[in-house]
Amino acid sequence: MAGPIVETLDNGLRVAVEPQPWNPGLSFTLLVPVGATSDPEDRLGAASMLETWLWKGAGPRSAHAFADALDALGVTRQSGAGVEYTTFSASLLPEGFAAALELYADLLRQPHLPDDAFESVRALALQELAALEDQPPRKLLGRLRREAFASPHGQPVEGTRETLERMTPEALREEYRRRYGARGSVLAVAGSVDPDEVLRQAERHLGSWKGEAPEAPAVRLTVPHRFHVQQETEQVQIGLFYKDVPPGHYDFYASRLAAAVLTGGMSSRLFTEVREKRGLVYAVSASPGSVKGFGYLTAYAGTMPERASETLRVLQEGIERLAEGVSRSELDRAKVGVRADLILSGESSRARAGALARDLFILERARSLEEVEAEVMDVTLERINAFLAKRPYRDPWVGTLGSEEVAA
Amino acid sequence: MSLLRFEETTLPNGLKVIAEVNPEAKSVALGYFVRTGSRDELVGEEGISHFLEHMVFKGTERRSAWDVNREFDEMGAKYNAFTNEELTVFYGAVLPEFMPRLLDLLTDLMRPAIREDEFETERKVIIEEIALYRDRPHFVLYERAQAAYFGRHPLAKPVLGTPESIAKMTRERMVAYHQRRYLPGNMVLAFAGNLDWEETVALAERMTRDWKPGTAPRNHPAFTPQPRTLREPYAKASQAYGAVMAPGYSASAVQRYAARVLADVLGDPDNGRLYWRLVDAGLAETVTAYHHEFEELGVYLVYAQGDPERQEEVAARIREELLRLQERGVDPSELERAKLKTATSLVFAGETSLSRLFYLGMGYSYTGRYEALGTVRRWVMHLEPYHMDELLEARPFERALEFWLLPEGDA
Repeated sequence: MAGPIVETLDNGLRVAVEPQPWNPGLSFTLLVPVGATSDPEDRLGAASMLETWLWKGAGPRSAHAFADALDALGVTRQSGAGVEYTTFSASLLPEGFAAALELYADLLRQPHLPDDAFESVRALALQELAALEDQPPRKLLGRLRREAFASPHGQPVEGTRETLERMTPEALREEYRRRYGARGSVLAVAGSVDPDEVLRQAERHLGSWKGEAPEAPAVRLTVPHRFHVQQETEQVQIGLFYKDVPPGHYDFYASRLAAAVLTGGMSSRLFTEVREKRGLVYAVSASPGSVKGFGYLTAYAGTMPERASETLRVLQEGIERLAEGVSRSELDRAKVGVRADLILSGESSRARAGALARDLFILERARSLEEVEAEVMDVTLERINAFLAKRPYRDPWVGTLGSEEVAA
Repeated sequence: MSLLRFEETTLPNGLKVIAEVNPEAKSVALGYFVRTGSRDELVGEEGISHFLEHMVFKGTERRSAWDVNREFDEMGAKYNAFTNEELTVFYGAVLPEFMPRLLDLLTDLMRPAIREDEFETERKVIIEEIALYRDRPHFVLYERAQAAYFGRHPLAKPVLGTPESIAKMTRERMVAYHQRRYLPGNMVLAFAGNLDWEETVALAERMTRDWKPGTAPRNHPAFTPQPRTLREPYAKASQAYGAVMAPGYSASAVQRYAARVLADVLGDPDNGRLYWRLVDAGLAETVTAYHHEFEELGVYLVYAQGDPERQEEVAARIREELLRLQERGVDPSELERAKLKTATSLVFAGETSLSRLFYLGMGYSYTGRYEALGTVRRWVMHLEPYHMDELLEARPFERALEFWLLPEGDA
């Protein structure tokens, strides 16, 4: 397996290519650094609305003609705005690559952003916001992020009713002009491709793209605290947020392995303590997350109200006991699991294109699967336990959502 | 792609073993596809198939629950299980060197101990799982719409059961259900990826030598859909959730690929007719349509989610599009698009060993045949407008059930 090839075009756009010669298909991801973190306070939800609006016609094509052109190439697409960036992805057969990239370049560079589609874009954004009420786990984890970050990283991707209602086509077009640009954006391609051809097509369709993304804001946190969200639900939702090491840090892979010991497989600590031994929950997990320059660990569990305080206690103890270290067999299982994940993800062009794009955004470089594997295998028992002792997971932000508050 | 080879054999105990061998794959996936699910449950057994799926991981004569979890993780296996109306599937993917160990573990699990103490702990987990889905209105919609559509047919039964049926379940009942359903003649052992076929068959034969032969029947009562519109309130819904169900084709019917493409013309999430009438217009947040196949019948299913204030307009537009499709058929250009998209998605369905395993195992469980992804692609690409017309001549959408789950006060 060859590692990814990375080039930067003159306009600052970074391009990563990972050939998978055995793969009959290919996938690409265009990542633009437009997300909730760069939404102005009075325009929360702008990145998300823009992503929807962009699809309403671009270049020489109406929205309908644009969708037809992608379908004629058999393109499966995915797009969405998140905390720090918006991605536009495509999976297709190799022969359609140049034509599909041209269409996506139109989407990013020459969207019509038509007035007559604006109200339906707003209506969808408002429905999406309202539908969050029907997804309690997502709602709680969004709130947890908002409670923990004092910087714009806590801003809601979906916006607020007030900001969505106040949004105007002019304001949104201004956001488009200010934030969509080549410098800071990434094109990542994986699958059956010739890297030279990818670079030629990238130069041709995106080489004259101008513009620059705004600087990413620095991370600031609030003081750890507890909060409760009142909502009539069957299950109480519990969420924890812990500080962790950032990507690129010496202990980054040790922290990932620690998370795998907690929650990697069904023999992991949280699954064993919370579900298998006590039957407190159906769903329990911890997920490492990161934004540029900052890493965190969130944990989640959902349970009936009468068992919520026990669940919270067992969950929190399970995580904080990591400070006492992990055993050799736990570390071995975590390593095997992470390694298998890596190798299996290498089978999928979609997964690789997404990972490369994210790497270039977060780390400013693209890692090969072999590099990640070697880093993971390098973490010794002494090293992970020294890390856990030196930098214990404690003092979390604690959030609950349900019909009544959970006793501490 | 030309390196793929299909193999099949039947072991002396009646277990079918099949494989799609790909010497270039980096992994191998394998799974037991047991032909049992909620439709096979007797009165008093509601939810037992799914509960048993959980208990399968709780240990065997040779292994404790902890051993099971630990061994999977020692191999770095990506594994899980699911239960639906007709199948219970246990699967895992590993690096090729771990295959014999994974096969040994999964095979042992097919003969679970179902220990009393584990049974009681897991009962609580299942009750939590039911509660979790009750907080998700779109899931409640599917369950209720399916119950309404199928009426007295066994496909109406909820896969998870109810808190009451789970509370009353006994270990004895589960042991009896297991003995009745997990028989080698009622199971398929499937492999996809990098493996040595001869060696694998020898292993499977040795590991299942003690399994008593036998097969399990299934009832196929007659079914006639009762078209109607139902609106139910749900306290935990803040949006309107709608499903339209109409008669389609079974998992072995020749028309099933045409029916999938027809559903795509209607409900492709990016470019289907309903997308333009509803999502592009800002009336509904989501609308999709697909064709779902069961053993002896199938359904077209339209799903919509949106603003409760505009639910009636959404429902009216869906009805209008269904009837327009039924009256006027599809345009050749729409058909070409839908075909190409389906054909391309089949290429991606073949990317990983695990997704190949599902395709192989599910398809074979229903049809008893191997259909290579490449073959299916060719069939799809050969579809013509008259194939769509043939489906529409049955006038499926006149026999549709429409079900809306609405916030209280809106129903």
